[in-house]
Amino acid sequence: MRRFTFFLTAVATLAGLVILIAPDPGRADGQPAPFVTEIPHGYRDWRWISSAHEAGKLNSLGAVLGNDIAFNAWRDGKLPFPDGSIIAALHYRNVPSDENNKVFGQAQSFVPGPPTNVQFMVKDSTKYAATGGWGFGHFADGKPGDATFMKTCFPCHEKTKATDLVFTRYAP
Amino acid sequence: MKRIAYLLLALVALTGVLVYMAHAAGRSDAEAEPIFGIKIPPGYRDWKLISVAHEEGNLNDLRALLGNDTAIKAYRDGKLPFPDGTIIARLAWSYVPSEENNKAFGRAQSFVAGPVTNVQFMVKDSKKYAATGGWGFAQFKDGKPDASAALKTCFPCHEPAKARDFVFTNYAP
Repeated sequence: MRRFTFFLTAVATLAGLVILIAPDPGRADGQPAPFVTEIPHGYRDWRWISSAHEAGKLNSLGAVLGNDIAFNAWRDGKLPFPDGSIIAALHYRNVPSDENNKVFGQAQSFVPGPPTNVQFMVKDSTKYAATGGWGFGHFADGKPGDATFMKTCFPCHEKTKATDLVFTRYAP
Repeated sequence: MKRIAYLLLALVALTGVLVYMAHAAGRSDAEAEPIFGIKIPPGYRDWKLISVAHEEGNLNDLRALLGNDTAIKAYRDGKLPFPDGTIIARLAWSYVPSEENNKAFGRAQSFVAGPVTNVQFMVKDSKKYAATGGWGFAQFKDGKPDASAALKTCFPCHEPAKARDFVFTNYAP
C-alpha cells in the first residue's frame, strides 16, 4: 500500500513537472502572436449576424453569431469593433435534406450536417496588437487548432482591413 | 422677399407631409396578415439561432431560422409538440456570390446573404389554429403581409413533417 502511495506521488510530481515544462502554445519559440485557446462561454446563445455557404473543399454551411458588443457594433455600423467584441463562426457540413427534398418534390434543400468546427475572433487591441487587435480561435471537437494552423488566420483576414478584418456583413 | 418666405413656408409644410407619409409607410409592419391574423412579432431579429439552410432552384436563397425563448427551449429540451407561445421566424435572402470573399480565398466558392426576399413565421396556438395543426403561418415581404391565397399552401406542405410537429428545421448544435 505504501509503495503504491509512493508511486502515486511520483506520478503526480512528474505530471506537474511535465505541465510546467510544456511550453504555453501561445508563447512558443520566437513569441508568435497569441491566439484564442478557450471557447468563449455561452456563445450559442448570441445573436445571429449572417449565414454563408462555402462551396468546394470546405463544403460548409455556416452561421455567424456575435456577443452583444459585436452585435451592437454591427447594427450601428460602427468600425472598428470595440474591445470585448467576440464573433463566433459555427461551421457545419453542407448536406442535402432528403426530408425537405421529398416535400419540395425536387433536390434543392441543403441544411447543416455534422459540425466541422467553430471559430472565434476576439477583439482586444492590447493583447492581440500584433494581429490587428483580433485574437483568432479555431476549435474542432472542442480542441484548439495548432500554432501552425493559427498563423494562417490573420494574413487572410488582413485582406478585409476596410471592415476591421471582418468578412461577414450584417444581414438585416 | 415675401414671395420667397411663402415659398419656403410651403416647402417646409410639404416636407412635413412627406416625412409623415414616409413614417406611416414604415409602420406598415404592424399590419396583420389576413388568414391567420399574424403581425410581425416585435424584436424577432434578436432571437436566438435555430439553424441555417440553403435552397437551390427557383428559391435560390440563404436562410436563417430564429426562435423566441419558448421555441429555443423546446428545441434544446427535445420536447414535442412545441408549446403554445412558440414562434419560429424564417428569414431569407437571395443567395449571392461574395466577390470580396472569393478574392481572399483565391477562388469562387463563397456565397452570402444578398437582398432580403421575405420573412415567414410559424406561431403556435393550439386553440386558435386547431385546424392547421396548432400553427398559424404568415409571410411578410418589405414589411407587408402576403395577402395571397398562397398562404393556404403552408399547412399542406408542412403536414409531411407531422412527426416533428409540422416543423422541418432541426436545431443546429
